[in-house]
Amino acid sequence: MVAVVEDLNARLRGFEALRERAACEPEWLQRKRRLAMDRFFSLGIPTIKNEEYKYTNLSDLSEVEFFDAPPVADMSLAAYRGLGGLTLRFDSGLLAATDGAMPDGVTVGSIAERLRSDPDGLATRLGNCAVFEDHAPAAHNTAGFEDGAVIEVSPDAVVEEPIHLVFAAASAVSNARVLIVAGRNSQVRVIESYIGAGRYWTNAVTEVYAGENAVVDHYRAQLESIEAFHTGCFQAVQERSSKVSTFSLSFGAAVARNDINTRLNGEGCECALDGLYAVKGGQHVDHHTAIDHVMPNCSSHQLYKGVLDDRATGVFNGKIFVRRNAQKTDAIQNNKNLLLSDKADINTKPQLEIDANDVRCTHGATIGQLDETALFYMQSRGIAIERARNLLTCAFAMDALERIRIEPLRAHFEDLLLRTFADKTEDRREVM
Amino acid sequence: MLEIKDLHVKIEGREILKGIDLSVGKGEVHAVMGPNGSGKSTLASVLAGREGYEAISGLVTYQGADLLAMAPDIRAREGVFMAFQYPVEIPGVTNMYFMREALNAVRKHRGEEELSAGEFLKIVRKKIDPLEMDQSMLKRAVNEGFSGGEKKRNEIFQMSVLEPTLAILDETDSGLDIDALKIVAAGINSLRSENRSFVVVTHYQRLLNYIVPDYVHVLANGKIVKSGGKSLALELEEKGYGWVEETVANPQPVGV
Repeated sequence: MVAVVEDLNARLRGFEALRERAACEPEWLQRKRRLAMDRFFSLGIPTIKNEEYKYTNLSDLSEVEFFDAPPVADMSLAAYRGLGGLTLRFDSGLLAATDGAMPDGVTVGSIAERLRSDPDGLATRLGNCAVFEDHAPAAHNTAGFEDGAVIEVSPDAVVEEPIHLVFAAASAVSNARVLIVAGRNSQVRVIESYIGAGRYWTNAVTEVYAGENAVVDHYRAQLESIEAFHTGCFQAVQERSSKVSTFSLSFGAAVARNDINTRLNGEGCECALDGLYAVKGGQHVDHHTAIDHVMPNCSSHQLYKGVLDDRATGVFNGKIFVRRNAQKTDAIQNNKNLLLSDKADINTKPQLEIDANDVRCTHGATIGQLDETALFYMQSRGIAIERARNLLTCAFAMDALERIRIEPLRAHFEDLLLRTFADKTEDRREVM
Repeated sequence: MLEIKDLHVKIEGREILKGIDLSVGKGEVHAVMGPNGSGKSTLASVLAGREGYEAISGLVTYQGADLLAMAPDIRAREGVFMAFQYPVEIPGVTNMYFMREALNAVRKHRGEEELSAGEFLKIVRKKIDPLEMDQSMLKRAVNEGFSGGEKKRNEIFQMSVLEPTLAILDETDSGLDIDALKIVAAGINSLRSENRSFVVVTHYQRLLNYIVPDYVHVLANGKIVKSGGKSLALELEEKGYGWVEETVANPQPVGV
């Protein structure tokens, strides 16, 4: 294992240079980075022997040939028509461009810049939420991130315009980092888009602090190149009566692993964890969610829908912890999958640990195929079979897409979904 | 319009239709009646192109072309419409979207311009009122949560939008109360024209009080055993299907 990690480290380079660069960072961050680096080396890249990675093999990360300078990513993939608001583009995790006006009540900027101008300003936030003790990719990110986005919403500020963060891969390995701090009674919308070209690894960590009564509406569009690796970790901590929703769209990457965790730390919190994944060819997509109900009277809703074609494989693992004190918890989890080919494969597993005795927790998982009678019905009205398949696929995804409250985003994703399976008919006939 | 010659059809290896001959001329309304299991619905399904229905011999010619060689969507675009006995629910697809998609597929096939959402809405509004359907059903998912009567009315609505040349109605009357039956029948009657033919498959004579056929055929055990004018339906109603089955048991030459 050590050999593998050393080999990985040698080829990913970086860490040595990193130590030098880190020397001018504030002491609290240096300490955190050292811990994270040690943790990463002792954890190593997870193998399938690790229960949490049983169906997602990341060991390829230490074996694949990454290309140093991938071709330039197609920015149009993450250009949501009519979105407006503020857009920040990061190349390999470094702030490269800003477009649009800064909305009132919020500051959005570069983490590196912030660390220089105000060395201790983020000391209680950055890296405190996304724990890396058992999470190698998060440890790697914490040890290695060079920059990222920090979004701080003032108390009582309602920021209507969406803040769009585009992470474009421009080197073999990118550590993307996002920190969102939403003050008391504030409201904010953030979109992260991940794009790139060629073979590379994006390792992203997003931390969200939702203060009392704050509302955070978060979207993550994983639109990486079909050859890329993507590991993403979203971790939220919610204070009393706050509401966090996060939507994970996962269409890209050869191998994608998304960890989505939230801790409901105060009474009366709500969270909505939703997602849509659509994969084909030999793609693999994994969503691991964990909701920690710590306090009473909180609710959590999860709806993850997946469409898998060809030989694509998927994983959904949803953990819900209900602590002893968390009475009147209302937790709903749903994972629904549509398999478009006999060779596609999904492993779905709910994991509920309930220590309170007055709660409502429900979960459901389904795996199905397109309804043949509906296909014939559509054909009998003149609709070509390819189009009918597409419409039914979109219809399947509709209730997940409806969870997206930003119309330009919803429309863009719907269009992408249609295009993902539009040219697949010939292949499918072969498989069937 | 439609010529069926000695059609034999198998489902899962079992022969259901055992030599059907039927000729439907332009503008004619043919009723196909018969007891349960006689092959009525099989005949409708094979004409629409449902999978799993294997025509082992015989010929079906529609407007001079081999109908059985066409994919179901091509048949529809060529003007064949089947009203389903059990209309299918399609969650997530609105009626409006579904019908515009269908109509545009048909129009494109005919070399006509596709319709915009606005143009389509204008057409649809005119077609929906006579069927006493609520406009809101356009925004609902296709047949989802519709009552039996609403589903059947939706079939007729689809037919009126697509304006087929040959309409096959598969037990459109079953499960309808008398009021719904009258509305559905009126909808069908309003679509009767000299260029449009109908094959009305039904178990009950009741429907034929409202849709008066030009010809009535009785199907039993996979064959048409009796054909005649509209009076045949009344005779059947009076004597029951047992009468026909006796006729089959004691074969006599059947006059067409």
